[in-house]
Amino acid sequence: MKELLLKLCTIPAVSGREEKLSEFILSEIKGFCDALVDRQGNIICFKKGKKRPVKRVVFDAHTDEVGIIVTSVTSDGFVKFTTVGGIETAVMLCRGVTFENGVKGVVGMKPVHLSSTEERKKYPEKDSLYIDIGAASKEEAEKLIKPGDTAVFDSEPVLMGDRLKARAIDDRAGVACLISLLKREAEYDFYVTFTVQEEIGTRGAQTAAFGLDAEVAISLEATTAADLEGVAEEKQVCRLSKGPAVSFMDKGNLYTRSLYDFALSCGEKCQPKAYIAGGNNSRAFALSKEGLSTLAVSLPCRYLHSPSCVADLTDFEAMLPLCERLLCAIAGGEVL
Amino acid sequence: MNTKLLKKLSEAVGLGHITDVREIAKAELAKYASVREFGSIGLIAEINNGKEKTVMLEAHIDEVSFIVTHVFESGFLKVSNVGGNDGRILPATPVTVHGKTDIPAVFASNPPHLSGENEAKTADEAIIDTGLCNKLKDIVSPGDYVTYDRNFSEFSGGRVSGKSLDDRAAVACLIEIASRVYDKALPVNLVFCLSEQEELGTRGAKTAAFSIDCDEAVAIDVSFGDAPDVPPTKCGRLGGGAMIGISPILNRKITDKLTTVAEDKNIPHQFEVMGGTTGTDADVISVSKDGIPCGLISIPLRNMHTPAEVIDMADLDSICDILEGYLLSGGAL
Repeated sequence: MKELLLKLCTIPAVSGREEKLSEFILSEIKGFCDALVDRQGNIICFKKGKKRPVKRVVFDAHTDEVGIIVTSVTSDGFVKFTTVGGIETAVMLCRGVTFENGVKGVVGMKPVHLSSTEERKKYPEKDSLYIDIGAASKEEAEKLIKPGDTAVFDSEPVLMGDRLKARAIDDRAGVACLISLLKREAEYDFYVTFTVQEEIGTRGAQTAAFGLDAEVAISLEATTAADLEGVAEEKQVCRLSKGPAVSFMDKGNLYTRSLYDFALSCGEKCQPKAYIAGGNNSRAFALSKEGLSTLAVSLPCRYLHSPSCVADLTDFEAMLPLCERLLCAIAGGEVL
Repeated sequence: MNTKLLKKLSEAVGLGHITDVREIAKAELAKYASVREFGSIGLIAEINNGKEKTVMLEAHIDEVSFIVTHVFESGFLKVSNVGGNDGRILPATPVTVHGKTDIPAVFASNPPHLSGENEAKTADEAIIDTGLCNKLKDIVSPGDYVTYDRNFSEFSGGRVSGKSLDDRAAVACLIEIASRVYDKALPVNLVFCLSEQEELGTRGAKTAAFSIDCDEAVAIDVSFGDAPDVPPTKCGRLGGGAMIGISPILNRKITDKLTTVAEDKNIPHQFEVMGGTTGTDADVISVSKDGIPCGLISIPLRNMHTPAEVIDMADLDSICDILEGYLLSGGAL
């Protein structure tokens, strides 16, 4: 499962350009479930279990990741861009990037030596950022890239003890967990959706949810862990090595209380997400058609949306048993 | 110019007791010159042609980095700057901590709900995440070095990017020049000096210049390359050729000779004029002992002191071509 996650973190899939990742997922789950790809690019799966469910459950993970998109090329061959999804300026400065066609570049910046004391204290304006792809002129640059091309930040997965540093742990952790879930024998029938465009407004989930007759949606996600040295406990949101985080509320959704209570008391390792921040696909599921019951199970992840996300692999491994427990309890009529 | 060698020099670490870069340079220079090491100075390679005059070519071998000041049980480290790092670029930057073993780590970045105002931290305020928790103190102690972790990458059109191209690109030039001239009938003796601790205030070059007997010297370093946010008056153009330094502290005859060679041979070059000290080892070499006449030639480089430095390989060729011509014609004095 660890190897699967590492592999998934190397496949670029900026929102709207999820095709490569989708192909990989389809090749992984082939033969383990029924799968179709909808018009938006969502993969919708049905897994046959031993029994028919009392409540129909869908597990969701999103395939896309935050990244950058080219807007124009300057007269001297530098590339102007904007972010796809939320990326802090601080984590982009002087980072290497790779475009879809393999072209390499770096986000450039005026050297510290030439920056005033005032400038050194502030991050540059997002609009002022540019990528240097080594082109000496506009013509040379335009042979290599064009407006609309996307790129991801360079970041090879690296193991730091039991922890993983990688790009796009959000939401390859969820994708890896659900691929594994589909490959295992199931007690009850269930659905899985691998959805596109979460990072730009949970757009894939809106249509994926519409096409299903599910009653309960569980989002597999990655969420901010702010358990950094010096951060007050009440602002840490969740902590690495304490298990997956389950949400009662965030900026996009109020979760189904009985599901939250069950997750925390069922005996599987997990912790509450103890801060109201962020949001995920469950907000789309919660308001789809006549509305679904929802829960989010998230991998605590430091430096979320940066090229260097850090998460604990033991937390990651704990997501799958929690999902299976939730499936049995919900589909078996034990909760709700 | 050998891109593979530059990649090796860029990705390796060289500072203080970590001598990986020194070892690479030593193995290369030993093919062409007799090499000796000086503890606090770096590396000296000599090609003695039995001539009266000796010319020194100098580059620095160290890199900007950090030093551990505190180790937390939670797996985080506090560090201080070794050289001029820009605090703004640190969040989410991957690094290697050189403890009892090398371990990968990353500078922490503040999550959006804690970011508050748009205030950047300095290296001293930042923290590094090793992921190791209570095992960390067995591996890392205060005083251990932390270096940027970045793969060298080749852009299209002959430009390259990586960490420590300041001043490993110049080290690569010295090795290239050695390979070109070692078997030629040079009218001068040649000393290559690779000095330590430039980033801490040209410390290595000060002692190196004292210990080397030479009649004239040329330092090779980097200077600011053109970029959208860099004032055009304060930089050289990438691909515009070697930046020949002009300054009151530099010997005018050497500067003129470098220029003449470039003009005669149509080697791409540009000028960098400074009103006083240059911020390079030339500043201390020129006042070493009773004074060593010194010139300066620089490589235009973008994003200086970051893991994303960018140079044009063609500029390295220009520097090697000029210095080769300079040596073959017996130097300036």
